[in-house]
Amino acid sequence: MNGGISLRKIKPNAKKMIALAAIVAASALVYQFADVDTRHFGFAMGIRTPKLAVMLLSAFCIGCASIVFQSLINNTVVTPCLLGMNTLYVLIHTTVIFTLGPASSVVTIKPLSFGTDLVIMAIAAVSMYGWLFKKTRGNVLYILLAGTVMSTLFSSVTSTMQRVMDPNEYEVLQNALIASFHKVNSGIILFSLAAVVAVTLFLKEDLALLDVITLGKDQAINLGVDYDRTTRRLLVGVTILIGVATAMVGPISFLGLIIANLSRQLFRTFRHTYLTFGSAFIGMAVLLAGQALIEHAFSFSTNISVFINAGGGAYFLYLLLKNRGAGA
Amino acid sequence: MRAKDLRKEYSGRPAVRDISFEIPKGKVVSFIGPNGAGKSTVLGLVSRLIARDCGEIYFQGRDISRWRSRDLAKKLAILTQSNNINMKLTVRELVTFGRFPYSRSRMTDEDNRVIDEAIAYMDLTDMEDRLIDEISGGERQRAYIAMVIAQDTEYVLLDEPTNNLDIYHAAKMMKTVRRLCDELGKTVILVLHEINYASFYSDYICAFRDGQIVKFGTVSEVMTKETLSEIYRVEFEIQEINGKPLAIYY
Repeated sequence: MNGGISLRKIKPNAKKMIALAAIVAASALVYQFADVDTRHFGFAMGIRTPKLAVMLLSAFCIGCASIVFQSLINNTVVTPCLLGMNTLYVLIHTTVIFTLGPASSVVTIKPLSFGTDLVIMAIAAVSMYGWLFKKTRGNVLYILLAGTVMSTLFSSVTSTMQRVMDPNEYEVLQNALIASFHKVNSGIILFSLAAVVAVTLFLKEDLALLDVITLGKDQAINLGVDYDRTTRRLLVGVTILIGVATAMVGPISFLGLIIANLSRQLFRTFRHTYLTFGSAFIGMAVLLAGQALIEHAFSFSTNISVFINAGGGAYFLYLLLKNRGAGA
Repeated sequence: MRAKDLRKEYSGRPAVRDISFEIPKGKVVSFIGPNGAGKSTVLGLVSRLIARDCGEIYFQGRDISRWRSRDLAKKLAILTQSNNINMKLTVRELVTFGRFPYSRSRMTDEDNRVIDEAIAYMDLTDMEDRLIDEISGGERQRAYIAMVIAQDTEYVLLDEPTNNLDIYHAAKMMKTVRRLCDELGKTVILVLHEINYASFYSDYICAFRDGQIVKFGTVSEVMTKETLSEIYRVEFEIQEINGKPLAIYY
């Protein structure tokens, strides 16, 4: 009898996951091959392939990071980007160029520069956010408030630095920073991929503990989980994933919020295998379909971030109102 | 389980001051005392949920800080009051978590058997597929107890298990506590606010005030007019009902 029940419970979610994967594959094919001029096939592929790779990778990063982060602080209306993690990355990158100068090899060798950013980011974010969570004792309203202020602070410091910068430095910085879906930062795809794979493998065991972590700190410790160590390691992972995504496509605040919550609504489970992969797949589908629309239907007249942030903002308000009293 | 010179401070204010005690095995021990007396803190300290500032806690001959957390999870289970879950979780899935220290996420046939038994023991078989945020408070409390049973530990620590329960469910919960001890042979330590539950359902009572133990002894030793008045600072009368002391306070 129990076997029947658990089968009935698991099957729909597995089906949904397969359907999602199929949608992602279809969107990828449409994006890659829609309207290709066969005379310039190689040329078109050369432009589209890196973009496709970047979108898939960044959707994976943002999707996973958002779900993990939400489960860590036990609230579903918060994502790392809303708390300024992507502006922190921009700040760190700016600071590195500002202090070392544009000719330094740490800046010119892309993977090295990227690696440096990620390491600093991991240290800074873990100490800052770890402290924030401890101080606010997980009160989500305080976290959200402090996160918004931090986000503004990081961007102000960044723009101050950019203003007093040497124009040459600024040029170098801009080239690296204005990454968007039109102009993806394709020089770091391989390195990013390596970083993502490394993080995933490194945190494999900790990710398996996420289901237990969502029971709350007391229950997790009761069940023998080293709570502090696990959450710290997972926070490092989240930071690196967000850093990778921001470096590749620039800051998009609301994507994580949308896809993480859609995944939670779609799968209605506590099992993080479903939630994280669901969130990543939904992210891929949203980005690919959106970008295909923008390139072919709107012929580049607008930017996908505009849609994501407009839609995401509205969705965020809806979630806040819906969860009023319950979540916060 | 034995504690020696245990101390814990919160921002300079001592919550637990140098207390020592020994918990007798296979008995029900209730911690009573007014708010802020340190009962819950002591429970948190001995279950490693709260880090102590000073002192020693010996569990089966070894200090609990020297136990691997995962091994300790097979010997000692604690249920606190902070159980708000934002997840879609069925009763059965919650109880399944009790087996986590043994099998991580891969349940064996043995695990499933233990889970079935725990659910049946708490009369939850009919509702094992209900979501825990859609059942009543009493049912949810039973689901958590079932999880603790599935964890299959010698020691069970409960922080105010009757909190937020009506009289019917609270009395039922206390009977369950008794059964955990009498039928399953567990040592149960619980924090209680209702002193008559402590009197009727436990073997020993440990009375706290201001972070210190005022008295630790059998029920009849602690349930006296003098001791209770000293702890709670209100007038008490003690009556015998069915051979157990019943406290009347006003």
